[in-house]
Amino acid sequence: INAEYMGIVELACADGCAVSMKLLLVVLFSLIALSDARRHRRARAAPSPYRFSEEELQQTSHEDLVDILLHRNGIPAPETPEEPAIAAAADNYPPIWPYPAKFSNGTASVTVNPTGFKFTAPESDRDLRAAFERFERLFFPHRAAAGGTISAVQVTVSAFNVQLQLGIDESYTLDVPMQGPIRISAGTVYGAYHALQTLSQLIVFNFDTQLYTIALAPWHIEDRPRFTHREVLLDSSRHFEPVQTIMNLIDSLTYAKVNVIHWHIVDSQSFPFDSPSYPLLGKMGSWSAQERYTIFDVQDVVEYARERGVRIMIEIDNPGHAGSWCKGYPDVCPSVQCPEPLNPATNATFDLIDGLFRDFTGGARGGGVVFENLMHLGGDEVDTSCWSSTPAIAQWMKDNSLTPDLTYEYFVRRSQAIAHAQGRDVVGWEEIWNHFGTQLDKSTIIQQWLGGSTIAQNATAHGYRVLWSTDGVWYLDGLTTTWATMYSQEPCTGIPDNLCDMLVLGGGGEMWGETVDTSDIQNTIWPRLAAIAERLWSPRDVTDLSAAKPRIASFRCLLNRRGVMAAPINNPTARSAPPGPGGCLVQ
Amino acid sequence: ASNYPPIWPYPQSFTNGSTTVSVDPNFKFAASMQSDDLDAAFKRFDALFFPHRANNGGVLNNVAIMVQNVTEQLQLYSDESYTLYIPADGTAAISITAQTVFGVYNALQTLSQLIVFDFNTQTYQVSLAPWRITDFPRFKHREVLLDSSRHFEPVQTIKNLIDSLTYAKINVIHWHIVDSQSFPFDSPTYPLLGQKGSYSPQERYSMDDVADVVEYARQRGVRIMIEIDNPGHAASWCPGYPDVCPSTTCLQPLNPATNATFDLMAGLFRDFTGGVRGGGVVFDNMFHLGGDEVDTSCWTNTPAIASWMKQQGFTADQTYEYFVKRAQAITHAQGRDVVGWEEIWNHFGTQLDKSTIIHQWLPGSKVAVAATAAGYRVLWSTDGVWYLDGLQVTWETMYVQEPCVGIPDNLCNTLVLGGGGEMWGETVDTSDIQSTIWPRLAAIGERLWSPRTVTSTDAAHVRMANFRCLLNRRGVAAAPINNPTARSAPPGPGSCLDQ
Repeated sequence: INAEYMGIVELACADGCAVSMKLLLVVLFSLIALSDARRHRRARAAPSPYRFSEEELQQTSHEDLVDILLHRNGIPAPETPEEPAIAAAADNYPPIWPYPAKFSNGTASVTVNPTGFKFTAPESDRDLRAAFERFERLFFPHRAAAGGTISAVQVTVSAFNVQLQLGIDESYTLDVPMQGPIRISAGTVYGAYHALQTLSQLIVFNFDTQLYTIALAPWHIEDRPRFTHREVLLDSSRHFEPVQTIMNLIDSLTYAKVNVIHWHIVDSQSFPFDSPSYPLLGKMGSWSAQERYTIFDVQDVVEYARERGVRIMIEIDNPGHAGSWCKGYPDVCPSVQCPEPLNPATNATFDLIDGLFRDFTGGARGGGVVFENLMHLGGDEVDTSCWSSTPAIAQWMKDNSLTPDLTYEYFVRRSQAIAHAQGRDVVGWEEIWNHFGTQLDKSTIIQQWLGGSTIAQNATAHGYRVLWSTDGVWYLDGLTTTWATMYSQEPCTGIPDNLCDMLVLGGGGEMWGETVDTSDIQNTIWPRLAAIAERLWSPRDVTDLSAAKPRIASFRCLLNRRGVMAAPINNPTARSAPPGPGGCLVQ
Repeated sequence: ASNYPPIWPYPQSFTNGSTTVSVDPNFKFAASMQSDDLDAAFKRFDALFFPHRANNGGVLNNVAIMVQNVTEQLQLYSDESYTLYIPADGTAAISITAQTVFGVYNALQTLSQLIVFDFNTQTYQVSLAPWRITDFPRFKHREVLLDSSRHFEPVQTIKNLIDSLTYAKINVIHWHIVDSQSFPFDSPTYPLLGQKGSYSPQERYSMDDVADVVEYARQRGVRIMIEIDNPGHAASWCPGYPDVCPSTTCLQPLNPATNATFDLMAGLFRDFTGGVRGGGVVFDNMFHLGGDEVDTSCWTNTPAIASWMKQQGFTADQTYEYFVKRAQAITHAQGRDVVGWEEIWNHFGTQLDKSTIIHQWLPGSKVAVAATAAGYRVLWSTDGVWYLDGLQVTWETMYVQEPCVGIPDNLCNTLVLGGGGEMWGETVDTSDIQSTIWPRLAAIGERLWSPRTVTSTDAAHVRMANFRCLLNRRGVAAAPINNPTARSAPPGPGSCLDQ
């Protein structure tokens, strides 16, 4: 073992043994592997529930893999969707966005009585009760005449206290009868929320009769998402996005069953997070004194999202996109003039990363302020020239026989080891796959983003899980990308069905914040994110743009009625104003 | 320039010290009179004062409110003044005095801007204490025009707008509820207006929706002034009631030759007014009848109308006068004072009832000077400088306008009621209404509230930037202040204070 590496390990311990012995060993072995990379590489780090050899992958049955990978143990696999039984004349059919996996309906109109409308559930659950209050307002936005045939919804949930994580059961069934109570059954409260969202779209106020009605009853809907991870990326570094802005965004996400905020919380431009462990990061790195999040703010966002079935996945992009770290802690950067990638030659960098991650994770799987088990480590756009041009780092690389790319690998792996030791699975941008491929821990989730990239095919073929958010088609900062283009993408193109089902977790729309603040974040995101949401939720064969158009127009009007600043669907450029007077359905 | 005083709009008079005093988020509101409206306000302001979880403790932990009248109806001349005292230590409570609950709301808005969260200590603080503020608006009527005809603006959108207005002490929505493009209001008396005249079945307001908006606004000290523009800007009335229009090919101005037109107007107005002063769903005593841009050619081109005019011995302009006066008479009979766009002054001048309020809007117009000289009350919202649909008009341009230019002080004080920013809706729907209105309406808000001498855009710049950031923190989609075109995106990464 190279004495230098031993020194690193000893230093880590001398600093208070903040890292577990397991992590030390992992780092140690990783470093051994790196130091002798050309002879043999040791790919594996901490134990992972998702580790398969390619042989194992081939030998395990498809069904078992789905259960294992999506934590579906004990939950029966959903049935294959069938074709809708009735093709109704109405254009906005079915009047549900995103399109449900399976449904049938009739031709009658039933009325719903808003006066004394009852939400009932066999068990009393705080989250469910809070949801009932929210949905009552969504169901009945207008004062109405008394009366209506249906006056209750009965909600049955199989398992309460299921922590909101990747792969939890979000399925539901919804029955709207001709009379008697509406019935919802779901595996979890999260499934129940989706059922209530669907129901909120079916209940329509009739201005002529002043009654709430459901058209085309009876409805029988069996619904579940095609992909388990349906995100929007929120960038709070290029512009600060206040807590209220994020909470308003969360409300809007739920309307389209988008279930993750991928919170790109810091980047080179600003560091708006007040880390309790490293307070100078936010104090020195934020745009201004008020443009910061306390750890309580983060916790409030996480809780607000959790109550609505939305996961918060934190991204701490490293070693690139980290220039804002230098202001508070100059030691972790190569130099003032050349601030990033972060300095790989000092333990100060990894100590800080460890402490910063722990602010979010609490150090234990499923724990901490951000209990989400996925943590995004970025890893993209690493230009190593600051390493080579900073004498101390260049010398350190030379001493350790590391090329810049090996240094990048070392950094990525050590950062991953820290996240693993805190019980997190790691997500990284596709460069880490492009550079290190199958050298990465098998639990690593690769996020495809480069324009025209097809790495999802390659990565899934090697058993890695992927997220799909390709630049040029699912980047929301691409203002000339229309909803129709977004709608027409297919994350599983070129990927065999079994790998699509178990390794393509989903993806989402990436709202990079260079020109987005509170003033335009909603109208840049909406309505286009709805197109992505339907792609990620609905059956693969729901692809017809002309069928989708009246539905997304109606959904856009619904968003507007709920106060969401969704822009016209027909504008060639995102967030542009309506071209002239007109009804929201035609713009 | 600095963010001093850190209050938007600039108060009438104030003194302050140099002490920083902490505020305990376990905060109590106590008023000298019981009022459900005040209790509801206290809940709202508690959330505005303390948006972050913080360490408990702090020197100031309550506000004592002396209010004289908690039942006064919100109208044009309601007293909105207040005093606010924030001590520099814990020997006294924060105290507010006001005549009405509306003055209390204004005091609490000011206080909400002075309480700032300190991220480093995780405590709330007021800087530069002690503060002694005596404040009242320079003008009584500080409006934004909301146009729900060119685009339907949902109830939720209007409520969100009302919340934002209160932050800048804007106190009126001038609700241009219908126009030629669509008729989104479901009149109980004439139901076909909304049924046939709206853009789509969901793009309508029920009578209860209007009542909810009025009540939501009232609880926040914001008046709702309805505009039913007539006889022009009324083509959307025809699909439901073709009789009130000249013909199916020449839709407006409304038909002056039939009582059907005036019957419909009386019924439609009564839906809002209830027929009595201070009553009805919209209890505001000002009712805007538009009266602008009346092109009489449809009257002269429609044989039945032309012959009726000839019978009466009316020229086209006399017919216009007859129409305006009859519409006003209907409104007066229902206990309302009439507001009209300046064309009615330009055409009929002192022939108009003295209670008529003239709304100046034409670019370059100086009608306010002439109308006040003749004893008429005026509102000021001149196109080109206070029209919010003018996207090239910057906040600085809006800020440097003066409604009383050329008007003697005594007439300025008594007859210039105020004015406001007009958000015509041709390219404005829920997606962009907030970013088109804000932050520019704040410039108008300060002009209408603050002393006449507060005019320096250089001094206002930092304060405006801070107020924009505050709006953003409260979830209002206020655009950057430095962009040359309204509602354009920030040009690149940066702090909200710099953009």
